[in-house]
Amino acid sequence: MKRYAYYQSCINEAMTREVDRSIELWQHDLGIELVKLHESACCGGSNLEYVSPKQFALVNARNIALAEKQGLDLIVSCNTCLMTIRTAKKKLDELPALRAEVNEILREESLEYRGTSDVRHLLWVLIDDVGLDVIRKKVKNPLTRFRIAPFYGCHILRPSSVLGKDNPLEPTSLDQLLDALGAKSIPYEHKNRCCGFHTLLVAEEESLNVAAEALQEAMEEKADFIVTPCPLCHTVLDGYQAKALKHNGLKGSIPVYHLSEVVGLALGYSERQLGIKRHIVTA
Amino acid sequence: MSDSTIQHHEESRDVTFRVHRFNPQVDSKPYFDDYTIKLEKGITVLRALNYIKEHVDSTVTFRAFCQAGICGSCAMRINRMSKLACTTQVWDELDKTREPGVITIEPLRNLPLIKDLVVEMDPLVGKMKQHSNWVDSKMAEENWGWKEFLISEEEFLTYDKATDCILCASCVSECTILRANKEYVSPAVLLKSYRMNADSRDAIHDQRLAGLVQDHGVWDCTHCYRCQETCVKNIPIMGAIHGIREDAIERRGTKDSSGARHAEAFMDDIEKKGRLVEATLPIRTNGLAWTLRNLLPMAVKMIIKRRTPPPPPLVKASKGIQSLRKELKEMASHVAKDHEKKSGE
Repeated sequence: MKRYAYYQSCINEAMTREVDRSIELWQHDLGIELVKLHESACCGGSNLEYVSPKQFALVNARNIALAEKQGLDLIVSCNTCLMTIRTAKKKLDELPALRAEVNEILREESLEYRGTSDVRHLLWVLIDDVGLDVIRKKVKNPLTRFRIAPFYGCHILRPSSVLGKDNPLEPTSLDQLLDALGAKSIPYEHKNRCCGFHTLLVAEEESLNVAAEALQEAMEEKADFIVTPCPLCHTVLDGYQAKALKHNGLKGSIPVYHLSEVVGLALGYSERQLGIKRHIVTA
Repeated sequence: MSDSTIQHHEESRDVTFRVHRFNPQVDSKPYFDDYTIKLEKGITVLRALNYIKEHVDSTVTFRAFCQAGICGSCAMRINRMSKLACTTQVWDELDKTREPGVITIEPLRNLPLIKDLVVEMDPLVGKMKQHSNWVDSKMAEENWGWKEFLISEEEFLTYDKATDCILCASCVSECTILRANKEYVSPAVLLKSYRMNADSRDAIHDQRLAGLVQDHGVWDCTHCYRCQETCVKNIPIMGAIHGIREDAIERRGTKDSSGARHAEAFMDDIEKKGRLVEATLPIRTNGLAWTLRNLLPMAVKMIIKRRTPPPPPLVKASKGIQSLRKELKEMASHVAKDHEKKSGE
């Protein structure tokens, strides 16, 4: 059983509780154990870095140091948390003076940021550590009947200088995973585009237009549902779906699943167990 | 090894350019023309387009000038990404085609189309004028041309990369928010504004900043990083956008706009609970009336599905919050000292 430190994303503790619930169901089936870091703090959601760049470095150095203390990599299941914490890590690795300043403060808790733990998305762990061949063998309920529109979201792809796993122009990791689960992933323009989440409360109309365009294309391509590795994208594409479509004079609906839920479905768990019934848009 | 990979290693081969065509005087809608030409390895997309114009179809219309990645005239979408035709190797693009051997060439997005691959730059220039994207000098006019106006190397390094911008509008073409609303300020204008506001020779910093925090301004960026990813000069454009926001919070406070209030809420919650209190985030960003008007119907659906975030008293503080608070306080004193030092300079 390979162990990882698991970062508690705020949204998965609140609106999208089904993400962690579904991961807990199947993690041992795939030989991994995600140990929740209850001491971790909000990463700042891609906002803290300009409110206070130094507090941003401190909070996320602490988040990573908590994982380093256990000798584990830090695994994240929210794209924005991933990008945010990796951005902080890059700064801490490149700026020794900042690292020293932060570590002097972290000594309070007997913590030290050393840069020894990697910060990775759950999707990357499934592909790189568990392996697609192992996943293929564990599939009990292949998703062969589904045409799925993969929606990567921005912060697992861009900035590529911070993320680096996929080519942001032609990402393949989620497609590869869906293929291992037996599903057919459809090619469509929006798979590497934005969901509009980060402006929902500041420029709502723009966000609704952004989301509607993605939903419309997935529906036009006759996808059975959208899958995303990011709970923020899910919140817009599922929770705001009716509002976004109505705002743009569009009809129809399309379910949106979390990455952790499609893995669970393929491994034989039910929609109810996985929390899929909690979505706003259900099939 | 696929056919395209084998061909990719060849020194010369047939390449098809699928070029976007539209002449508003004749065509009711845009279409694509395929031009297949034999090319040698090492040729750029611009040279290929010039060849097509000279030898195959003289009506194909595009803009180009310097042929050296300096003037920014030949930006276009090549295989679905905005970039300069003159610095893009055909052979590199053969790896990125959806159909083997077929390179798609389209005009930039988010700007009005004039013909084929040529777009109207006036909306961008208009926004640059609106936000005074030039240094409005502090020096008295009678000294212009007589006195030097020196800046420190340290200062220059803060906007060195930003001065690399050649206004090719690739970032404008790929911007998510501009696609959703053409009134949005756009990444290139934010980059230039950041650069001018960081310049100590400039006299209108506060006025420029006041313009940037208005509707359709700096707070409307959705952090998708598409601008930065597409930039032909590798300029960290999001860093400039964050720089304007940091400056706005520092100079104008956190109550100034919904964007600033939204950002401040993250800092507040981290200090109080170590995690975000999502239930009150819309109210803290936009007030109660906006929240009721905009989010009530959705809140009802969310309550039915038990998706609502817990009310503030039920948000459990993260373990070790006492230590975190102490550490944040300690860092706050470092930040205060930094500010003192900066204002003393």
